[in-house]
Amino acid sequence: MRWSLPDIEDRPAARPAPRPSRSRAAALRAASGPGFREVCRARPLLGTRVEIRAGGDAAEEDLHAAVDLAFAAVERVHRLMSYHDPGSELTRLNRHAGAAPQRVSAGTLAVLEAALHFARLSEGAFDPGVAATLEQWGYLPKIGAAPPAGSWRDVEVTPDGCVRFHRPVRLDLGGIAKGFAVDLAVRTLREAGVEAVVVDAGGDLRVAGIVPRRIGLRDPRAPAGSVHSVDLENAALATSAGYFSRRWDGERYVSALVDPASAQPFLAGSSVSVRAFDCMTADALTKVVLFAPPAVAERALAQCEAHAFVQASPGP
Amino acid sequence: MNSRILIFPVAAVAICQPALALVYMSVEQAQQLMFKGQSLTAVPVILTAADVSAIERDSGVKVYPGVLRAWKAEDGGYFFVDAVIGKHELITYAVALGPDGKVGQVEIIEYREAYGGEVRSERWRAQFVGKQHGDAVHVGRDIQNISGATMSSEHLTEGIRRLLSIYAMVLAGH
Repeated sequence: MRWSLPDIEDRPAARPAPRPSRSRAAALRAASGPGFREVCRARPLLGTRVEIRAGGDAAEEDLHAAVDLAFAAVERVHRLMSYHDPGSELTRLNRHAGAAPQRVSAGTLAVLEAALHFARLSEGAFDPGVAATLEQWGYLPKIGAAPPAGSWRDVEVTPDGCVRFHRPVRLDLGGIAKGFAVDLAVRTLREAGVEAVVVDAGGDLRVAGIVPRRIGLRDPRAPAGSVHSVDLENAALATSAGYFSRRWDGERYVSALVDPASAQPFLAGSSVSVRAFDCMTADALTKVVLFAPPAVAERALAQCEAHAFVQASPGP
Repeated sequence: MNSRILIFPVAAVAICQPALALVYMSVEQAQQLMFKGQSLTAVPVILTAADVSAIERDSGVKVYPGVLRAWKAEDGGYFFVDAVIGKHELITYAVALGPDGKVGQVEIIEYREAYGGEVRSERWRAQFVGKQHGDAVHVGRDIQNISGATMSSEHLTEGIRRLLSIYAMVLAGH
C-alpha cells in the first residue's frame, strides 16, 4: 500500500510550475551533461542531521530556494511531533488526550494513523507506546509522574478527526515521523520542479527523480564504514541498529530501540535496513523486522512491497 | 515463497574504511546564502576568563576560546561560524541571528565522522584541512549517502546554546 501525504499548513500558495517530464534516457543524459547542477545542504533537525541534495538544470539559486522550502517542511514536522518540545501537538496529546478529545493538524493525524496501522499490521512489534520505557532510560524527557497504564490500543481517532486516549498513554512518533518528514521534503522538492532529489534524515533517506543512487549500509561492527550497498531509484531506505544510541545507564546497557514484547533494549551488533517506496513505511518496517516473529515480518513486508536487508553479527 | 529478508553476514574482522567527511559549503557561500547582498564586518570575539566561566555557567556547555568567529551585518544581525565535537563527529556550522537576536537560520558547513576515539585527535582532524566544497562529488553511482542508525545532533544543539550565551553576554548592545 502507498500513503498519500496530507497537506500540512503554511505550504506556500505560489509554487514554480513543474517542468514537463522527459524520457528516462533523456533524463539520465541530462543528469550527466554540463548543464546539470547540484546543491547539497544540511541542517540539525529532528534530533539528527538532515541532508538535502537537489539537482537539475535549474539555476543554482532556484535549487537553493527549493531546498529552503523543503527544510521548512521538515521544520514543521519537527515543531508538530517532537516529544522534547513542550509546545508540540504530540506533547498536547500526551498531556490532555486522556481527559478530552484533542484536535490536531492533518500532518500529525496522518502520522498517528500510520503509526497505528503499522502497530496493527505487525501485531504490536512496531509500537508507538514505548515512550515510558525510553523516558526511564533517559532517551526522552519525562513529561509526567505516573507511568501510563495504557498502550497504543487505547488510542482512538474519532470520526471527526480528533484524538483521544481511553487510558493514559505516552505516544512517541519517533519511529516514524522522520520518514514522514523525508517524504514531505521530497514532495516539496519535486513540486518545485527539482529533477534529482535525495533527502536523508540521519540515515533514513529517500531518492526521487531522474538519478538513481547507490546507498552504503553502515557496517554495524565498524559504523564509520560500509561493506554492503543497496541501489535506490525512486525508493526509500531506513535502518535501525543500536550502535549510536547504546550506552551504560549505571546498571546495564540500554539503547533507544525497545522490544515492545519484553521491554528489553535491542543491543545486538546487527542492523536492519528496509527498502520501500516511501520513507515513512521503510522507517516503521525496520522496527517490525527487528521485533516481529519472522512470518509476521514477511507478511508486513509483502503487503508494503518492501524488502529487508539484515546485517547479522554474532553477539553485541 | 521467496523471502523478502536478505541476510548479509558481517565480517568478523572490521575492514578499514575512510571516515565520512562532507563539506557542504564554504564560509563565504554560507554568508551569501544567509545575508544575501549585505556586507558583513568581522567582529573579534574576545573572552576573558571571567566571561568564559559566566558563559559556561549560563549555557552549561564548555567554552573553547578562539573557536567562534563572528561578523556583524548591516541590518544589525550577526553571522557566526562555530564548531562542536561530539562522540563520533566534528561539525562546523553557521548561524544567522536577526537584529532581534533570534536564530534565523542554521546550516551545517562541514561534517566529519569517525567511530572510535579518532574524532578528538589532532591528526585525524588535520587530514581534512584544505578540502574544498565539491571535492569527490560526482553524479552517478558513487556512494554519497550511508544508511544507518540515527546519530544524535545533541552536541550541535548545545553549541547553539553556547553561541547564544556568548552573543548575549559579550556582543549584544556593543
